[in-house]
Amino acid sequence: MTELVAKPPASIGTRLLNMPGAAFITIALVPLFAFSNDAFLGASNLTNIMVQTSILLMVAVPMTYVILTEGLDISMGAVVSLCGVAMALYLADGGGLFVAILIACAVGAAFGAFNGVCVAYFQMPSFVVTLGTMGVAHGLALILTNASIVTGLGDQILALQTGSLAAIPYTVLIAISLYALAHLILYHTRFGTYVFAIGGNRHGLELAGIPVNLWHTGVYVFAGLYAGIAATLLTTRTFSAHPTVAIGMEFDAIAAVILGGTSFDRGKGWLFGTVLGVIAIGVLRNGLNLMAVSSSVQAVAIGLLVIGTLLLDKLRANGWRLT
Amino acid sequence: MGNLAERLDPDGGGRVNADVSLQGVRPAQVSPAPCVLSVKGICKTYPGVQALQNVDLDLHAGEVHAIMGENGAGKSSLIKAIVGAITCDSGEIRVDGTPVSINTPADAQTLGIAAIHQELSLVPHLSIAQNVFLGREPMTGVPFMVDHRKMADDAAAILHDIGLDCDVGAKADSLKVAHQQVVEIAKALSQNARVLILDEPTASLSDREADALFAMIDRLRAKGTAIVYISHRMNEIGRLADRITVLRDGKRVLSATPSEISTDEIIVAMVGRPVAQPSKEGRADRPVGDAVLELEDVWTGTGLAGITMSIRAGEIVGLAGLVGSGRTEVARAIFGVDPVLAGRIDWMGAPLTGDTPERVKSGIALVPEDRKEQGLCLEQTISQNLLHASFWKVFPKRLFRPSRARSISRDSIAKLRVATPHGEKRVGLLSGGNQQKTVIGKWLNADARLFIFDEPTRGIDIGAKAEIVDLMIALVERGNSVLMISSELPELVGCCDRVYVLREGEVAGELADADLTEDAILRLAMHHD
Amino acid sequence: MSEATRSGRDWHSAIDKLRGSEIESIFLRLAVLFVVGLFLTIATDTFLTQTNLVNLLRQASLMFLLAAGLTLVLIVGGIDLSVGANLALSACLTAGVYKATNSVPLAIATGLATGAAIGFVNSLLVAFLKLPPFLATFATLWVCQGLAFFYMSGSVIYGFPPEMRALGSGFWLGIPVPVILMTIILIFLTVFLRRSTIGHELYAIGSNATAARLSGIPVRRRLILVYVLSGLTAGFAGIVYLARVNSADAGVGEPLLLPVIAVVLIGGASLYGGRGSAIGTLSGALILTAVLNGMNLLAIDSNLQPMAAGLVVLLALALEAVSKKHQRKK
Repeated sequence: MTELVAKPPASIGTRLLNMPGAAFITIALVPLFAFSNDAFLGASNLTNIMVQTSILLMVAVPMTYVILTEGLDISMGAVVSLCGVAMALYLADGGGLFVAILIACAVGAAFGAFNGVCVAYFQMPSFVVTLGTMGVAHGLALILTNASIVTGLGDQILALQTGSLAAIPYTVLIAISLYALAHLILYHTRFGTYVFAIGGNRHGLELAGIPVNLWHTGVYVFAGLYAGIAATLLTTRTFSAHPTVAIGMEFDAIAAVILGGTSFDRGKGWLFGTVLGVIAIGVLRNGLNLMAVSSSVQAVAIGLLVIGTLLLDKLRANGWRLT
Repeated sequence: MGNLAERLDPDGGGRVNADVSLQGVRPAQVSPAPCVLSVKGICKTYPGVQALQNVDLDLHAGEVHAIMGENGAGKSSLIKAIVGAITCDSGEIRVDGTPVSINTPADAQTLGIAAIHQELSLVPHLSIAQNVFLGREPMTGVPFMVDHRKMADDAAAILHDIGLDCDVGAKADSLKVAHQQVVEIAKALSQNARVLILDEPTASLSDREADALFAMIDRLRAKGTAIVYISHRMNEIGRLADRITVLRDGKRVLSATPSEISTDEIIVAMVGRPVAQPSKEGRADRPVGDAVLELEDVWTGTGLAGITMSIRAGEIVGLAGLVGSGRTEVARAIFGVDPVLAGRIDWMGAPLTGDTPERVKSGIALVPEDRKEQGLCLEQTISQNLLHASFWKVFPKRLFRPSRARSISRDSIAKLRVATPHGEKRVGLLSGGNQQKTVIGKWLNADARLFIFDEPTRGIDIGAKAEIVDLMIALVERGNSVLMISSELPELVGCCDRVYVLREGEVAGELADADLTEDAILRLAMHHD
Repeated sequence: MSEATRSGRDWHSAIDKLRGSEIESIFLRLAVLFVVGLFLTIATDTFLTQTNLVNLLRQASLMFLLAAGLTLVLIVGGIDLSVGANLALSACLTAGVYKATNSVPLAIATGLATGAAIGFVNSLLVAFLKLPPFLATFATLWVCQGLAFFYMSGSVIYGFPPEMRALGSGFWLGIPVPVILMTIILIFLTVFLRRSTIGHELYAIGSNATAARLSGIPVRRRLILVYVLSGLTAGFAGIVYLARVNSADAGVGEPLLLPVIAVVLIGGASLYGGRGSAIGTLSGALILTAVLNGMNLLAIDSNLQPMAAGLVVLLALALEAVSKKHQRKK
């Protein structure tokens, strides 16, 4: 019954145009970097990209959830740093890895719960609430470490860093399985359905008799839990924890989500797009690193790509007309 | 019959003829079925308005109960009270004879009450099936996992039953609005509710879809569901209703079976007085000048399909029609809010171009339907609001002088008789009538010559209504023009020189002089002849 | 009407008038400032000294310059997260242009132009593309910051002529120049908001943008003006900052974002728009600077500073949420 559908099925051309920006960027960048630098396609560099991407993915995935609910979590970078510091201090004290991970996740979840309650129950704007908690998390991390690096984390974490299965590092495997879990939750559980509905039609969800505030808070708690995982992977990779190590990661994550085709438009988006976005950002940063381009220029490039993507989204929604 | 006429018209005069009887369309219920839900004496007051006053309602199993009334009569408030979207000030709701408290939509659902509302509650980027089962997703044996297959099958089955065969995996926003409405209905049906409330369900449906819906309603009725049906369309009421309740000004004015009552009697009950009695004194005396605003075959993306009309100086022109007929859209097109795709709007003999600020400067004013969202800055004071449309006029050099602002505010408050101790009161604290006066004052200060009033007396108590109407008449007596959009028929008939009746984005007819009656407007608007 | 009810009514109207004006809230802020000051005077020997107070005022004036334009943005119901990064980039470009040309006027013009240009980009993203302001300015934040770091490539530019440094650290008639600049901007902004119709239009837009548009206020043009002014004052703050510390460094912007938001929120501006004033923002700047200054004097770990600013933001938000809830109940 095609007559039911307002839009006719898209032609291949429009479907290509509707691909997320991340896909274009990756397709354009890979040959560019491959030609300009021999090391780019080397096995060790590809592994490197995979590991970097895995860590960012653990922040970008829950950020997708938050953005689907028309929110923004600016505190994630600082919270990841704080989680890393917390677990590193425990490990340096001779604690076990498993408990350390639990600690990281608990710290993240506590910050998430605070953000969520402020946003859902008190209807505060998410970006300012999380800006405030960013300051708090950042300050806590600085105080706990006296603004210095935490090292001497013991052997357990070394095993996690160097271990691999069929040449795939554990870090990547963990990230893939947690992505799969997030995918399952978003598309196959009630929680996931409500994530879309909170952004799409919060009032409609209330009319359906759902305790919306509770689920909305859950989104931020979920983000906090994943921040704990991201901290674990980051600490594993650097074999240390620094109180400002992940500051700015929230920007890469938001950029990845937007490049992946999720928008602030009534819960529009998809999780796999975020994977594409994370890969695009990972490839961009890695390639530019190999070309010895400073990380500040990388940030400029990412910022411009984000603005460009938002511009294209707008044009697309307006039927390719300005204003 | 006699009983009913007495109830309608206790003074005994002005009896109406039952020329169109609904008798025999359906046999009247012989033995009363058990009362599933009963509402006793509920009241709800909003600031400035009494939305519900001591309303009773009994819903029986296997019965379609039609609720009728003009806009603002209290239908929506009644529905909202039953589904827990608002909390009532007093009164009682019983389910199966047991008093219950319904404070949230979840409470209502637990009690087996489902509703489709006029505003869409769909989530645009979820699939149709997910929308149908939102909040009641079927689960698989695996913990937490939603059973998508069962959900899709069930949704498809329900939609098929109402006559919509579509890919239930498609996103809801890929559907046309009419079909989104069908999904809303499916959503309510899927709850297997004992009480089903339908608020203007056919507003955007085609005849074929409406027929399928009626068949569905018949089946539900046979299964013993109690159905509340709200609609403006007489023929639907005749086709479906077992019982009719009419609300007016928040009160129940009539409850009867279709066999006891005629269409005209229902209209009389809705309108509140016998047809054809409005006072039009003084109207003919007004001198009417040349046409100031002319619309010619105007089309917009918002649903206007070739509107042609004109307004002359010193004239009050009414714009009637059901919700969704395009009345507000006409106002927005004239005011430069929505772009005109085809056709022409002439103002004072020249084409009307430019954005809203320019149109304001050329002398057009809009008193919008939703005062709180579109007409006023509620957090600001009366004085501040009174100047919002006239900064360019009062302070041409852009220098704000508080003394001038104060004197203007004092003058406006005195002239419009806004009930307030001073102009520094927040507008949000005023009653509806005084808020409306503030909006009008805003435009008087801008020296507007054409005033577009969208539902000028909605949410305003009776005394203030008369004052607003007097203000409008005073405006045209000074040679201005008024375009008045209203759902209140007595008001349209009482103060308009001419009325255009809109239906589905087109002008269904123009009424003036002796032809201008409430009856005629309703007939044109409802497509009932 | 009896005498009693009449006087009662007058009393109510007087309260109503008070609430409508900013007097009540300004008094509240002065009281907070006084309490903080009193506490620090008692707790430390150094707070109530001329050097410290001049220092405090200088710091506060810088905060105020940065927050002044942001106040306008909040009045129309928007947000500009890029002000800190804007300050950094403007300061760096000013420094670079001075080093290249040795011309102070040209350098200052560059700084102001940079700030205004960034504001203009923000305004286009917000007013024409209708992007959520927090997202648009979050992206420009990173672009500006990245550009600043790229331009400086890790170095610090220092050493500026006295006439330029005077902007930040000079005195005129015994008053620090930044304080004079602050006073000028305070007066200008207050007059603009109260005595120009545009100022009044800004409050209307922030209070209800739809109603403002339907009253014929050119909302889009006003939004452009406001974001450009926000960029301009950030650029100006960059120049003053550069003049004060006598060096330009790409990293100065980031730690300023949280405090500047704290300043406008304590100053009484609302994230929901329609509220805010120049004098309020000044009081916010004084309060926050006094708190941070006091933390220094009390030798509290400087690592606590971001946390303090974050807590202040959260506190301001909580107060607003509570008062909003209270209002809704009414």
